[in-house]
Amino acid sequence: MTAPAARGGLARPFLRLRLAGYAFFLPFFVVFLVVVVAPLAYAIYLSFFQTRMIGGTVFAGLANYTRVIGDALFGAGLLRVALFLAVQVPIMLLIALGCALAIDSGRLRWPSLFRISIFMPYAVPAVVAALMWGYMYGDQFGLVGQLSDALGVTAPDLLSRSWMLTSIGNMVTWEYVGYNMIILYAALRAVPEELYEAAEMDGAGAIRIAWSIKLPALRPALLVATIFSIIGSFQLFNEPNILQTLAPAVITTSYTPNMYAYNLAFNGQQINYSAAVAVVLGLVTVVVAYVVQIITARRENAL
Amino acid sequence: MKTLPSRRGAMTAGVAAALSLALAACGGGSGVSGGDATGPAAVPSKSAAVQDALSKPAELTFWTWVTGIEKTVARFEAKYPNIKVNVVNAGQSADQYTKLQTAIKAGSGAPDVAQIEYFALPQFALSKQVVNLSEYGADALKDKFAASAWNQVVINGGVYGIPQDTGPMAMFYRKDIFDRLKLEPPKTWAEFAEAAKKIKADNPDNFITSIDPGDAGGVDSLIWQAGGQPFKTSGESNVSVTLDSDPGVKQWVTNFGTLLKDKLVEPQPGWTDEWWKGMGSGKYATWLTGAWAPGAIMNSIPKTKGKWAVAPMPQYDAATPMNAENGGSSVAVIPQSKNIPAAVAFAEWLNSDPEAVKSLNEEAGLFPATKVLLDDPAFRDVPWEFFGGQKINQVLGDASAAVRPGWQYLPFQVYANSIFKDTVGQAIDGGGDLTAALKSWQDRITAFGAEQGFTLSNS
Repeated sequence: MTAPAARGGLARPFLRLRLAGYAFFLPFFVVFLVVVVAPLAYAIYLSFFQTRMIGGTVFAGLANYTRVIGDALFGAGLLRVALFLAVQVPIMLLIALGCALAIDSGRLRWPSLFRISIFMPYAVPAVVAALMWGYMYGDQFGLVGQLSDALGVTAPDLLSRSWMLTSIGNMVTWEYVGYNMIILYAALRAVPEELYEAAEMDGAGAIRIAWSIKLPALRPALLVATIFSIIGSFQLFNEPNILQTLAPAVITTSYTPNMYAYNLAFNGQQINYSAAVAVVLGLVTVVVAYVVQIITARRENAL
Repeated sequence: MKTLPSRRGAMTAGVAAALSLALAACGGGSGVSGGDATGPAAVPSKSAAVQDALSKPAELTFWTWVTGIEKTVARFEAKYPNIKVNVVNAGQSADQYTKLQTAIKAGSGAPDVAQIEYFALPQFALSKQVVNLSEYGADALKDKFAASAWNQVVINGGVYGIPQDTGPMAMFYRKDIFDRLKLEPPKTWAEFAEAAKKIKADNPDNFITSIDPGDAGGVDSLIWQAGGQPFKTSGESNVSVTLDSDPGVKQWVTNFGTLLKDKLVEPQPGWTDEWWKGMGSGKYATWLTGAWAPGAIMNSIPKTKGKWAVAPMPQYDAATPMNAENGGSSVAVIPQSKNIPAAVAFAEWLNSDPEAVKSLNEEAGLFPATKVLLDDPAFRDVPWEFFGGQKINQVLGDASAAVRPGWQYLPFQVYANSIFKDTVGQAIDGGGDLTAALKSWQDRITAFGAEQGFTLSNS
């Protein structure tokens, strides 16, 4: 994080260089402290207290944390997003990978049009996207309902208990395939041209090139995309929160851990317990992301 | 919890110019019950300050989500040019309360005056986040308001808001459907179920009404109408929740449990596209809701003009009719205000002056809370073209008079309502056991209340 330390005697130019380094780094560091570290520290601080409508604020020690660990509502929400993560993320990344490889193959007719149309949903704010999909999902007057009417079939109620997670997964996939595709495509562009030429000279076909050159080159980018998606899944909030007006009995106040924290803080005035929920959720996310990273790194070493 | 345009409020009539005089006159003598901080002796001076405030320069901020209220506020500014009022829409219902509570806790940024629904008022009053208007002589306004409205702003003997609008419940029904099936509007819940069966027999896709599994306020009102009183608060910290044993709750469970089981009433979230389309298409033959509904119907499904009519709520016992309130707001003053007397004067004028009250009704579409308007023949006898010429205010005014007194909300009703959909909403939507669901709602409310330092009981 810091500028390289000067070795040996401190010559003046070195000192100046170091100062310059700090000067460049300082604006970021200040912003980082104010908008990332301070709120985090404050949330952790809050999580050790309990504020009551009657009786004021008391120090609670770890009571909020022991309560989170035994909280069935939090646990159910966590399991739900974990399931979401296990199913939705691989599907989304596979589609993104396919799209990136397709553009990179150079065989598409209008690659930039293709790229932009896949990427476009990412530019739609999540709130708007959720409203739009919510409208389409309606089983009587929504697009799905009208299509199934026209075709004379009975569509499933996509906003019902059994379909809701799938419906949200579909929305999130639609939103983020383009984003992940861009990450992967950028990594593909970084592969030196010579590698392809050499492979061609060795007689490798398109599929062989994709398997032996492109995929290995994509591994770091895929890891990044996976980590982002893990974080995104645990933080799931916008989509269910908006769909909840359409299906209040399906999407409860603790549907995802983030919604739970939000409702505790803002509807229930339980800021302290909410902070503890948020801290635990953050820790779980870090642990899962870290484990994924270690597994990937180990596999890479083994290869 | 849902934040419906519903909870808009009503109106209040009052006597503007005479008001301040009346305050000054009555302030000392009449029932100044709740002035805990200041002795009764302080009251006359404070109400005098309210009177004086109207002639002094002031700037006030008013948070409200009532559309069209700017017109009423403009009338105030025209009348009292020294006072400037900034109207801010800070979100609806729970959204606004979140912002308001945050600003109050932060110590700055809160408005002088804010719209607060009746169900949320106890929470603000108990945590002293709104001014006790008794100290400013507001008790003198009591007689201007319908009892059902005034009862909802009196908490622990103090007056914590000025009633703005009310929502006495009524049955809005599709006259075209009832006529076609040769049905009379049901007077009792038994007749309601009979009518529901005929509507169902006519077309299995149709229902007599819908019930929103996310709308705690709607169910609270239906329980109120069934004679229930499951929430009670006494003193500052004693709370009783009897959702599992209250006879009115049981009455509601029997009634709606059967209607839901027989699929005569459809669980369907309200105010969504799907729901409005259902309302427009005749899928739902009635809407059991507050008297603020006509504006919502006219704005959202204008094509149904001439097809609607209004009747009193179906009764459990036709011999002793009972009604309830659904929605409605008060206007409260926030202690952070730098000019509390001016804020009080504004809140009182806005909701009790005859000119203001008329404007709130006609220009903002609020159903009145004041007797002067509720009893005004000019108000009662207007034929409503949209309702086929029916004089609906007669039905709605009588509905207001029939509201059963004594209902109380919890001092943390906002939270209690928010977890309704986690418990009772589940049973409504999934055809589950309403009694068990009410018990689990009660358990979560009880646990929350105890955690917050209240003394809870379930009897």
